[in-house]
Amino acid sequence: MDSMYYGDTLIVDLDSGTTEEVDFVEADEAGPGLAAGLALYEKYKDADPIIFGSGLFTGTPVPAACLGFVLGRSPVTDELAVAPLNLFAGSEMKLSGFSMVVVKGTSAKPAYLWLHDGVADVHDASAFAGMDTWETTDAIRREMGESMIQVISIGPAGEAGSKLAAFSINYWGSGDTAAIGALMGSRNLKAVALRGLGMLDADDPEEFYTRSLELFAFARKDRGFAALCAALGAGDLDKWLEPIAHRARACFACPSACFPFVKYNEAPTVMESSDVEEPGMLVTSPSAALWLMDGGWEPEAASRALEAMAREGLDMVRGARELAGKPLTDLGQITRAVKALEGFAEAAWPSGEPAPAGLFGAWTPPLADADAWKLANMAGYVLGVCPTYLMLSEFDLEALAGLCRPATGVRLEIGGLADMFG
Amino acid sequence: MRVKVNPLLCTGCGLCELACGYHWDEAFSLISSSVMLYRAEEKKNYMGVIVKTEEDLFIGRPEGAAAIKLGELSRGGTGGGASAKPILIREACDLCESTTGEPQCVAICPHGALYLE
Repeated sequence: MDSMYYGDTLIVDLDSGTTEEVDFVEADEAGPGLAAGLALYEKYKDADPIIFGSGLFTGTPVPAACLGFVLGRSPVTDELAVAPLNLFAGSEMKLSGFSMVVVKGTSAKPAYLWLHDGVADVHDASAFAGMDTWETTDAIRREMGESMIQVISIGPAGEAGSKLAAFSINYWGSGDTAAIGALMGSRNLKAVALRGLGMLDADDPEEFYTRSLELFAFARKDRGFAALCAALGAGDLDKWLEPIAHRARACFACPSACFPFVKYNEAPTVMESSDVEEPGMLVTSPSAALWLMDGGWEPEAASRALEAMAREGLDMVRGARELAGKPLTDLGQITRAVKALEGFAEAAWPSGEPAPAGLFGAWTPPLADADAWKLANMAGYVLGVCPTYLMLSEFDLEALAGLCRPATGVRLEIGGLADMFG
Repeated sequence: MRVKVNPLLCTGCGLCELACGYHWDEAFSLISSSVMLYRAEEKKNYMGVIVKTEEDLFIGRPEGAAAIKLGELSRGGTGGGASAKPILIREACDLCESTTGEPQCVAICPHGALYLE
């Protein structure tokens, strides 16, 4: 699969601070996306690597083709676990020139990986040690002089090896419920910074583009969490957040805009770019927000707690589950409570069916049909399409997989996905 | 006729930029598009869309939309900030003259934030 960048795999050795590009020909047999990531893990398993990857369609105009992933051995379960790279992180990674990055070894001092224009460098991050994820994102963007760099970073929790640690995508936390953030911390990997100015070729661009556009005709176009809450039979998060809601934001290429931005440091009606540098928070974890709403928190205080967890580099889902039963309002109390989180709660959704454990974790909402849940996750992580979107939209997965041939010249059958995962 | 922007309908998905890039390159990238999603002030959730034409930049900002002559920008006018500069060296919008139907960015926008007027 030469199209869609498959073939460019980067090996990063943190022991020596060096990088090397390899031709991972086994990807053709293993399959794209997470299937290739799993094969890469197997190939380099003696080094217990952390693998950053993207899906087949990530970065293209397929609906919700925003998804990349981080794969590693979870410090919580000691099993392989995957965490999503959504927002613009997955697409920028793909467009940075590397579809897969294998990180081996441990840096002698804090380091960050800078991927851009097909170039990879390991940089000293000693100056960023102890910084929270907001400070780290700002510092790397300032150092590189580019405000649109995507930063996957850890905060103090990850540096300390907390099993409640999660990496954050820019300022907004992530769906890392497996403590991949702690895994990054154990390797002294403070951050991965991405800027995607590359170009993706399709095998048959016109057919691929035309058929992608046809999918948009049937695409869901939601704003906020309402559809998700309805599917779960949960309370209405959007109504709860409404008094402080600003605008909803989408991940790359997604016709839905799931994430509400809430403002609590200035009026939510302010649309212009004001002097308030940090007006609020993008609520990226519906599960965490549901825990706090159900726990009796006020929306502003809950949003401040989410911000505090994202800054610390904590898993917002498990953190919110711990905080849920003790609603707070004072900012100082919230900050102290967040710093005192210990991580005894499991990652789960407060409503709906129990979340299946295993490789995919609790990022995507539970479905009553466990097979459908697993299929959506497999298809999503292989194709690079948000699995939550796949679940809510009830997309025709065969039609989606049918794009593989014009994309790469190779057919992919949905029935063959399970084989890719052993 | 020109492509205009209703910025408050924009959700920041970037599909317009991707579709325009496809129009120019028959490939997928964010570097050659005549349309640019402004997302440099992420912490403020401040986003909009900029469209480059031969004469001006149509800048759709949340507080309003306006066309600004390229000459005014070069004299330090009110563009879209520093990150708007790369669009100045890109191709100007040709309304996708080589294709039938509406421009690609208008056709693909899921929320009708871009329109032809």
